Amino acid sequence: MRRLVIVLVVTALAGVTIAAWGAVASARDAGPTQAKVKLPPLPANIKERKRWQIAVKCDTPPFGYIGARSQNAGFDVEIARWFARFAFGKPNRVTMSCVTTPAREPALTGERVDLVIATFTYNTDRETRIDFSRAYYKATGRLLVRNNSSIRSLADLPGKTIATTSGSVYERWVKNCHKDTKLIVTDGFTNAQLAFRDGRADALMFDDTILLGIAVTDPALKLTDDLFLAQPYGIGIKQGNVALKRWVDAALALMKKRDLFFPILKNTVPPRQVAPFSKNILRPNQNFAYNQGDITTVCS
Amino acid sequence: MTALLALDFTFLSDTWSFVETNFDELLAALRRTLQVSAIAIAGAFVIGLVLGAARAHRIPVVSQVAAVYVEIIRNTPILVQIFFLYYGLPQIDIFLDAYTVAWLAVMLWGGAFNTENFRAGFEAVPDRLREAGFALGFRPVANFLNVTLPVGGRIALPSSINTYISVVKNTSLMYVISYPELTTTVLQIQALTLETVEAFTVLALSYLIIVWTMSALIRLLESHLALPEAFK
Amino acid sequence: MIPAWTNDVLRYMLEQGLVNTLKIAAVALVGSVVVGVTFGTLLTIKFLPLRAVIRAYIEVWRGLPILVTIFIIYFALPAVSLSLRFDALTGAAIGLILWGSAQVAEATRGAVQSIPREQHEAASALGFGWVGRHAFVIMPQALRRLLPPLVSLLVNIIQNTTIAQVIGVNELLESGERSIERLNAPPPIGLGEIHSFEILATVMLIFFCISFPLTRLAAYLEKRLT
Repeated sequence: MRRLVIVLVVTALAGVTIAAWGAVASARDAGPTQAKVKLPPLPANIKERKRWQIAVKCDTPPFGYIGARSQNAGFDVEIARWFARFAFGKPNRVTMSCVTTPAREPALTGERVDLVIATFTYNTDRETRIDFSRAYYKATGRLLVRNNSSIRSLADLPGKTIATTSGSVYERWVKNCHKDTKLIVTDGFTNAQLAFRDGRADALMFDDTILLGIAVTDPALKLTDDLFLAQPYGIGIKQGNVALKRWVDAALALMKKRDLFFPILKNTVPPRQVAPFSKNILRPNQNFAYNQGDITTVCS
Repeated sequence: MTALLALDFTFLSDTWSFVETNFDELLAALRRTLQVSAIAIAGAFVIGLVLGAARAHRIPVVSQVAAVYVEIIRNTPILVQIFFLYYGLPQIDIFLDAYTVAWLAVMLWGGAFNTENFRAGFEAVPDRLREAGFALGFRPVANFLNVTLPVGGRIALPSSINTYISVVKNTSLMYVISYPELTTTVLQIQALTLETVEAFTVLALSYLIIVWTMSALIRLLESHLALPEAFK
Repeated sequence: MIPAWTNDVLRYMLEQGLVNTLKIAAVALVGSVVVGVTFGTLLTIKFLPLRAVIRAYIEVWRGLPILVTIFIIYFALPAVSLSLRFDALTGAAIGLILWGSAQVAEATRGAVQSIPREQHEAASALGFGWVGRHAFVIMPQALRRLLPPLVSLLVNIIQNTTIAQVIGVNELLESGERSIERLNAPPPIGLGEIHSFEILATVMLIFFCISFPLTRLAAYLEKRLT
């Protein structure tokens, strides 16, 4: 009788220990959030695979880049990791593949990935071929010039030279709307910045997120007051995948409600810029939507 | 079967309408490709001839400098050379626009390979021919111009031709500096309209037509310039 | 004296960039040789339809720029049929194999046809059939003559792997580019400094150190075997 009681007690203790260990482990794996997430059902193929396949940028800090320890990092990458936590409980349940700008749409239409989270600007033309989630980051175009530059606003552009990256909305907009402005398009932002710094270009045109950082650290440079090409980024989804779009929109709404974008922002931009850029992200009291049409053709 | 034929006809008409819609851009792009290629081939010919001769005749200083130039260009990827010319030179205050880098990069590349082609050609000229030239009273420079160059140049012809054709193909790499030659232009159109199959068909056909035409013309030239057996 | 950032960058470039470059080059070389030698030998058979098909293959893949070939494999094929979808690394390797095999086929044809007829006749006299003749007498000699151009091809393939950068493959050049972008971003991500010159120069140097011995080897083999 006594032996039976001892066995039962030991088993019970072992069971409790194992259960506690499991709970602690899964809580650790689930990351900073512990509460259960209520999201619409995942599409069957992703659920079966138990992993996301998400395309991100690998050469566009602060959204998608390769960190010092050769890991994927950045604002978009963090969103991908949150999706992994929400769907499968662990942030590593995602295979991230690197995409170049022109490869983003084919990655979806060719079914190479489930989602594209790669500074993907919305436009109605793209919407005819792929689906976009709700907007998740409000990007605006800015113009960076030298302090003594004769360019004081977009109106001073004719005859001048602008540097920007190839395939960007800026390149298309300048080609459509500022035909008498010369363009230097480069492969990657650093090369555009170099072209501007070396004097080949009179102005640098790019996202506010990145240009503000340069303007703030270099006292000889400044941003003009122009704000243009304000079109948010969205997450790219294969056309017709209604279930996935529902899940992604719900996940983004959840992240907005829990203000999860704010800590991501703090990890990605210098401390002095957290405040100004906190207006670009989704927060509990902050919302933004897409502008319809193709803004690269809107010239005034 | 009829379905397959119908597919082919829509494909052909789609491809043709792709060309029609973008005709001006494509024509301008083609012109740029041919223009850059022509300048680069001419330059590569001159560089190859001069430096190849210098190397073959072991002219001091020039020979060594040429050797360094050839080895650097031959042993590094042309894509990196293009990046260097366009993005790296500005660090030492040399600013080249995309057009200049386009013809300069392929010219330097072609020139390096051509130097080796001509050097091998000149060195392959049988000694008895050169000795005959000296016996006829030619001074060294005249001997080169009248004996070594005509014979050696013809020996070098096949390999030079391969280099020139590669020069034309390498102009496609100007995509990375967005110089609007054929590849860049077609890919830009494709990125906007996603008419992937039509765009790449046009691109592939364009290059094949250019390269095959060049090869055919050059075979014609080769048969005219072939060396008689006695010279080999 | 050496700045602190070089450590991580160099590790990334060598461990990931260079490894991918060598991976693609190895696969492309093996594929090119296997396909190319086969096609080149078949090209010497006096059967017109076969020769025509192989000749078409050679002229197409030698006539197209490698950049265009790689784009076609990576972008155009999936548009034709979803099952023809390759990841960037595989697509780049296939593109290089198509080009490389065309080069090898042409070189093999030249090498096989340069073997004097007497060798064929002697082998036949000894009782070898077509296959035996080629396997034991002709090909060993032809392959020896192929060695210098094959080493040159390896050098070309290694350098042409950089073209894969445009479809996003993380080979040596791209790993350098990504490091440049990261270093240029302001802290906390990077350093806010542009180091493109140093990194590009390093890429060139690494390629030079790999290619130069191989080109010397090709020249040496050419002298030894001709």
